[in-house]
Amino acid sequence: MKKRNLLATVILSSVLFLGACSSDDSSTTEADTPKVSDQLTIESIKEAGVLKVGVKEDVPNFGLKNTDTGEIEGFEIDIAKKIAEDILGDPDAIELTPVTAKTRGPLLDNGEVDMVIATFTVTEERKETYNFSDAYYEDAVGLLVKKDKNYEGLKDMDGANVGVAQSSTTSEAIASEAEQYDITVEFSEYATYPEIKAALDSGRVDAFSVDRSILAGYLDDSTEILPDRFATQDYGIATKKTNTELAEYVNELITTWGEDDTLNGLVSEWGLSE
Amino acid sequence: MKSTNPFALWRWEDLFQNFDNFSSGFLRTLQVAILALALSLVIGIVIGILSTAHNMILRSVARVYVEIFQNIPLVIQIFFMYNGLAMAGLVLSEFTIGVVGVGLYHGAYIGEVVRAGILSVPKGQQEAAYAQGFSYTQTMRYIILPQMVKGILPPLTNQAVNLIKNTSVLAIIAGADLMYAADSYASFSLNYGPSYVIAGLLYFILCFPLATFSRKYEEKLKKNDSLVVDIPEVME
Amino acid sequence: MINSIQTVFTRPNVLFLLDGLKTTLLISLCVVILSIVFGTLLGLIRNYEKKFFGKIAGFYIELFRNTPLLLWMLGCAFLIPGSTILVKASIALFLYTAAVVAEIVRGGLNSIPKGQFEAAHSQGFSFFQTLVYIILPQTFKKIIPSLLSQVITTIKDTSFLAGLGIMEFTRSGQVILGKVTKTSEVFLIYGFLAVVYFIICFALSVLVRNWHEKNSENV
Repeated sequence: MKKRNLLATVILSSVLFLGACSSDDSSTTEADTPKVSDQLTIESIKEAGVLKVGVKEDVPNFGLKNTDTGEIEGFEIDIAKKIAEDILGDPDAIELTPVTAKTRGPLLDNGEVDMVIATFTVTEERKETYNFSDAYYEDAVGLLVKKDKNYEGLKDMDGANVGVAQSSTTSEAIASEAEQYDITVEFSEYATYPEIKAALDSGRVDAFSVDRSILAGYLDDSTEILPDRFATQDYGIATKKTNTELAEYVNELITTWGEDDTLNGLVSEWGLSE
Repeated sequence: MKSTNPFALWRWEDLFQNFDNFSSGFLRTLQVAILALALSLVIGIVIGILSTAHNMILRSVARVYVEIFQNIPLVIQIFFMYNGLAMAGLVLSEFTIGVVGVGLYHGAYIGEVVRAGILSVPKGQQEAAYAQGFSYTQTMRYIILPQMVKGILPPLTNQAVNLIKNTSVLAIIAGADLMYAADSYASFSLNYGPSYVIAGLLYFILCFPLATFSRKYEEKLKKNDSLVVDIPEVME
Repeated sequence: MINSIQTVFTRPNVLFLLDGLKTTLLISLCVVILSIVFGTLLGLIRNYEKKFFGKIAGFYIELFRNTPLLLWMLGCAFLIPGSTILVKASIALFLYTAAVVAEIVRGGLNSIPKGQFEAAHSQGFSFFQTLVYIILPQTFKKIIPSLLSQVITTIKDTSFLAGLGIMEFTRSGQVILGKVTKTSEVFLIYGFLAVVYFIICFALSVLVRNWHEKNSENV
């Protein structure tokens, strides 16, 4: 009786796996040419009457929840509002969903959000999975360290343990930079930024590394941001791979706003020019 | 263009090319689980005996320990050990935290199992032992404990299974266990599907034999009309 | 020390933490209710349907009982299409807890003497009537302590949701932690989280103990 249960479990699991695997070849051709009806289009957003955007809620100046009003505010939220104004005629017709580096991709894939404007760095690898607009902001990876460690730069940090967020591009940037200095560093991954900051405070990691703009929100009396800037990062608006029409539309908006200084205006408004 | 199916074949291939992390994570999970289990057994037996002592102070100590560790989430306990203690100067390795944290937590639950086991041995045994001149410790060691060992095996194995699953808490403190390895790989490669399925399978392989043994053994005990320890059978 | 208390427990901070607590309790409540319903169903099917559905139920229970909760939360959050992360992770918690409840129910059902079925049958009760009027009431009375214990466990399990960015009690604490640096402040926050969880869970466990003593025939 027990053996039969075990056998049943094994058989059922293998059937599930095989079923999952075998759906690969047949879906390849379908996934290549997204059916127009499957896409999220400008029309469908207009019909829905609201633009669903994934944003950060723990990054000062980009996307931060105001604990007094309960609203999320920031540079990226303003961009979202401008897009909503353009498509729907109303800047407040937005539905903001808080995301982390870890959750922003999946939420985009399953349609919970129409687009992600959440300090999402554009890389060649990521372009294979998502559509990105042109850059709306350029930032670089930085290092937040404790002042009393007296680090002058990455070159002082041979053997250090660097805290990064899961699903971020940071560790690769740091690793290649470390190679140039001929030193090695280790990485510890955490699910959310406050956890990394806590690890820095407790000495579990020697540095908290992520885009400098995000680090600025965690600066305090005992910490400093090192002058090193690596791997300049382009932030782009991400849309699901199959929503090509939407991606093109959004990209045009960003290009226009880049040229007519709208973006620059927002950047200075939020004090982000460095 | 590669298929976007979360379970596509190319994702599985990528996973197996990167399988090293999974296997070392699996090994670490195993190591932490075994050591934590040993620790929690020791603690559990001590707590169990204390909680059935005649001395009220000893009983209170056991009760306080059990209540504290059973009513605070394991996540909080682990975070405290990881960041809190470190800030105060006590920096333990993730491995140690895994063993100690999970061990202390399940020590409380195993303590309850042992307590129920001791209480399930008919009181007459203890009285007869005293009449024969056995001391408390001797009674425990030669009469009570040996009899209840068989009876508590089913709930003990349940606890062992829960313990193995709870080692996954190491994932939130970058503890390089199986869960962390799966999560890390999944976040990096975006191959969520295969990653979590394989991790699940590996945990299942560890746990299922134990759970099955527990059930089989319990049925065997019932059939032989042996001592069966009656406690709320599912305590996590 | 007083200074630290003032820094940490400012009015916005405390309100923020309590907000997180509200989320924790809300999720726990929903999950508990749903999983008791579904879990009872599962337990009944597994015990009494010996052919196809019973085996499926058995497979389901074994699957969830032998894999970690965290794995299911991550898996469901990232692989199920549609809906929010909070809902999906809560669904994972629900599915997992339902499997645990199913085992509790099974234990309860097994402890009901077979004679009950026969007596009911002889009185003309159908199978379903027997279940509803005779078996289930007795079963539930027996398993209430275990179910309450499971409520406690569910409240603790919600702390795993923090890793997915869901703003429940533990994550609220983490966000506040990100703003402080002193050791005393860190201890205060962890202490606050621990104490609040403890008070809630301990209160429930006292209820369990009292019920057990009042209703157990062989104390």
